[in-house]
Amino acid sequence: MWDAFGFEFVNFYLIPGLVLGCIYALGAIGITLTFGILRFANFAHGEIMMSGAYLTWTVMAIAGYAGLTLHPLVAMVPATLLVILLFLGTDKFFYKPFRKADTIKVVMASFGMMLIIRSAVQVIWGPNQLTFVRGIAKPNSVLSDVSNDIGMMLIIPNKHLFIFAGTVIIVIALSYLLNRTRIGKAMRAVSDSPDLAHVTGIDVDKVIRATWIVGGICATAAGVFLVMDVQMLETTMGFRMLLPMFAAAILGGIGKPYGAVFGGLVIGLAEELSAYPWIGDTPLLSPGYKTGVAFAIMVIMLIVRPQGLFKGRSF
Amino acid sequence: MKNVLMATAATLLATSAMAEVNIGNPMAMTGPIPDLNAPIAAAVDLAAANINAQGGMFADGETLNIIRADSACDPVAAVDAVTKLINVNGVTAIVGPVCSGAAIAQAESVAIPAGVLTLSVSASSPAITTMEDGTDLVFRAAASDAYQGVALAELAMANGFTDIAVSYANDDYNAAIAEVFVQAYEGMGGTITANEAHEPNKASYRSEVATIGATSENLALFSYYGSGGITLMRNALETGAFTNFIGADGMLSDELIEQIGAENLMTSTFTTSASDASTPSFAAWKAIADEAGVPASDPFVANGYDATFMMALAIEAAGNDGREGLSEHLRAIASAPGEVILPGQWAEAKAILAAGGDINYEGGAGNQDFDENGDVAGNFSKSVIVDGAWAAELIQ
Amino acid sequence: MEAYVGYFLYFLSLLTVGGIYAIFALGLNVNWGFAGLFNVGIVGFAAVGAYTYALLTTAESTYHIGGLGLPLPFGMFAAMMTSAVIAGFIGLICIRLRADYLAIATIGIAEIIKLILKNETEITNGPRGINKIPRAWEHFSEERFYTSWPMSWFGTPENWEAFFDTLPNWYWQPLFAGTILLVMYVIYRMLERARTSPWGRMMTAIRENEPAARAAGKDVTRRRIEAFIIGAAIMGLAGSLFAQHLRLIEPTNTFDPSKVTFLVWVMLIVGGSGNNRGAMLGAFLIWTLWSASELFITGAIDLIGNIFSTLDPSILQTRAGFLRMMLIGILMQVILQRYPGGILPEVRPASPKADKNIAGTTGESK
Repeated sequence: MWDAFGFEFVNFYLIPGLVLGCIYALGAIGITLTFGILRFANFAHGEIMMSGAYLTWTVMAIAGYAGLTLHPLVAMVPATLLVILLFLGTDKFFYKPFRKADTIKVVMASFGMMLIIRSAVQVIWGPNQLTFVRGIAKPNSVLSDVSNDIGMMLIIPNKHLFIFAGTVIIVIALSYLLNRTRIGKAMRAVSDSPDLAHVTGIDVDKVIRATWIVGGICATAAGVFLVMDVQMLETTMGFRMLLPMFAAAILGGIGKPYGAVFGGLVIGLAEELSAYPWIGDTPLLSPGYKTGVAFAIMVIMLIVRPQGLFKGRSF
Repeated sequence: MKNVLMATAATLLATSAMAEVNIGNPMAMTGPIPDLNAPIAAAVDLAAANINAQGGMFADGETLNIIRADSACDPVAAVDAVTKLINVNGVTAIVGPVCSGAAIAQAESVAIPAGVLTLSVSASSPAITTMEDGTDLVFRAAASDAYQGVALAELAMANGFTDIAVSYANDDYNAAIAEVFVQAYEGMGGTITANEAHEPNKASYRSEVATIGATSENLALFSYYGSGGITLMRNALETGAFTNFIGADGMLSDELIEQIGAENLMTSTFTTSASDASTPSFAAWKAIADEAGVPASDPFVANGYDATFMMALAIEAAGNDGREGLSEHLRAIASAPGEVILPGQWAEAKAILAAGGDINYEGGAGNQDFDENGDVAGNFSKSVIVDGAWAAELIQ
Repeated sequence: MEAYVGYFLYFLSLLTVGGIYAIFALGLNVNWGFAGLFNVGIVGFAAVGAYTYALLTTAESTYHIGGLGLPLPFGMFAAMMTSAVIAGFIGLICIRLRADYLAIATIGIAEIIKLILKNETEITNGPRGINKIPRAWEHFSEERFYTSWPMSWFGTPENWEAFFDTLPNWYWQPLFAGTILLVMYVIYRMLERARTSPWGRMMTAIRENEPAARAAGKDVTRRRIEAFIIGAAIMGLAGSLFAQHLRLIEPTNTFDPSKVTFLVWVMLIVGGSGNNRGAMLGAFLIWTLWSASELFITGAIDLIGNIFSTLDPSILQTRAGFLRMMLIGILMQVILQRYPGGILPEVRPASPKADKNIAGTTGESK
């Protein structure tokens, strides 16, 4: 048996922090790519994430009528396609007209999109809570047995293992895309230096499409993982995730997908660990302030080191 | 577009011109608790439907019309909505605001200055008791937290909990009741091992649960089931941090059973302001609610029905849809002396009132006798899981 | 006849709330329209102003600190000052950030302000909020005012009670609306002067071409902080009026970013950013649309229910509020694309010669 500190710390603070961090990380990838390539802060990203989760729920419900029980990770695939269409549609009708105009216009447009998408989801699906899977998630018995034998009891439910695995797969796929494929290299080039990329004859429109597709996949995954974790869908979850995701993107450096992943994990861990009783028995920071941790990190980063830890773009 | 506007304007004018009794019903349709609000709104509509099916209002059977507006649990929206209800729709009285903040704001800002009676369905903040300066215009059909917090502390003592950890959602309702509970429980000699707020609607409460879970086996949880309560409960069960749970009516919902499973809730007890299931008034309410498919024991649903029914009785007793002096009639129909009227007995009540008799309404959520502050007394039940469903039992 | 009084009072309430939002929009116009500062933390300054006012002017209470019962104008002045001081701190550290970053920083700071108001329960009564906030004009009929100086000097409490009984119970409503419109007008006049002054023209120069302004030897950072503070002070004042109008404030729902920050932004964009008159017009227009649309949407849903009797309109009714939000969002998108300058686009101040006197009085040197 390992000491009480280790057991509680790992199971109740570290692992939940990592789970949250994975979700933030996936969301932040989309934000950082949009910010880097299209050069604006997309306030509607959280809502896209949320609508991805609702679409996944719908796919599961339709399959349920047909007598099929789909795992959320399977139902996510068709939902992702719809989210990508939604992303491309918003871009075409609401963001593209401002591409040559002031950045501020397109940020305002995304602010408006945030409102439109959220209200549309509320009108269509209603305000009641929905859920993928009912009941409570018991820890994975194999893992807790094995870890117990070596003296460090790990209690991780299956849903968390899925989230970890899913995040790792998506990040590996993303790094393959960015490092090995033509379009990925073009995306990095545009993000690093748009003028230079333009001169070298990169098809910027194609890069923008690719950005939305990658962002859409990551956003849907983040939304679905969040709902798998919380087991509850509600319409304001997107907005509540938005600022921590911005914080993650800024922490990692704008335009740096790996930075976003790192930033997401840091923000997720910081939120959870802030409530750990580091000194004495009471939480270091009242849990009422937990959401403030991400904002505080974000504001401090913006002031101290706006280019982020990974030397992203600084405007 | 223009035609639609014209047509709507026409309908608006038409509705106000017909012989109807209008009651304004600002509910939290949007905002943080729309899911909690939906069954309460259904109960308000159900009361109006019952009344209209049994002869309507007054001798000539005017329709009771519920004009719904969105108070969004938000003082800004509530003040705006009630301004419109009172000034544009010309309602006789307000039955509604779900959240305490919205209820106080609309009353202080609009309803009291306009001399309009407010009967809240679920505002439970202790601040409402003392908010009026000499007017008698704010009533509520739900007991103040000042009573329920004490009842819950007594329940914790009766269950043999000598120490308990408290976690409350940081919103107006839950913070208020948690404070009363902590005071009462410590006054009875119990030990509060931890008392922490949690932010509603977070994705995970594992760290909160773990931090306070180390201090006690018992958790007093104050939260809305729909905005974090279920998640916190689930996290607490998944991590095994607590064995026993108690809480107030914000958590009491069939949704909790559906999402977490009855087998996991065997050690949970939640209080609510209701008569116990054996009283005839609760049985009458449950029969009506079951027939209409309204969840009878969800938080404040019975209160929503009672409030609408009582307001209609008060207007009926007044004999016209004027706003003056309505509060006296509301007091008269809600308390003894008089023939006991149960939920749904509109025709009976109407006949007695027409004959000049007295009535005493006993609602599904309690006997609904108002004290001098317009509060109803604490009459609480505890609910535990029996055969996979909530079973309520009165606590003394 | 009573119905007309009702419509009149509703019209007054539209003027009241529209006026408060117009003051917010004027404050934002100083930030955004003049100086190009993308401030998305309006709700934070509104909350600071509202809480300062509430803590200073309410009667003593066991729920929160303060309750000093100070005169109302003093509370409003203090609201402006507190907001300005906080804006000063934020300005010093954040002002050099680029637009998007400043937006994210201000939105984060506003959330932190709200969290503090929510969690420091001893000071602010936490999520339960502060009620019984005195409202201008109406407060005269409150006992604690007419029994104390200076009102007690003019008459005994009995006289005052008898006097207030003779007034209709809505006597304060036109006076309160009038006060707000007057405050709005004064701020408008002052901002118009500032806009056409050298200070205002320098602002335009900095916004349009910062390197050039810098090269011309202007202290760009200082001017920006000034604009940020002035805007925030105006928002703090609007926040104190907001508290008076609502009479209860609490941190979560009263200061919901989508209903304060976002709505004010829509008002400014629709009305025309950079144009003070546009800001006010946008505020009244959008608030009237926002408020009155509830009446129409409910009516429209009833109508749909009547026409298609097989359809159950109850689902739509429960979701009407969301529909309203969506329509406002779409309206904003349309305005952004079709009328990028707003209804009243910005008019550049005329050449310096045209307003020589003003330039002289402000004492601004090159």
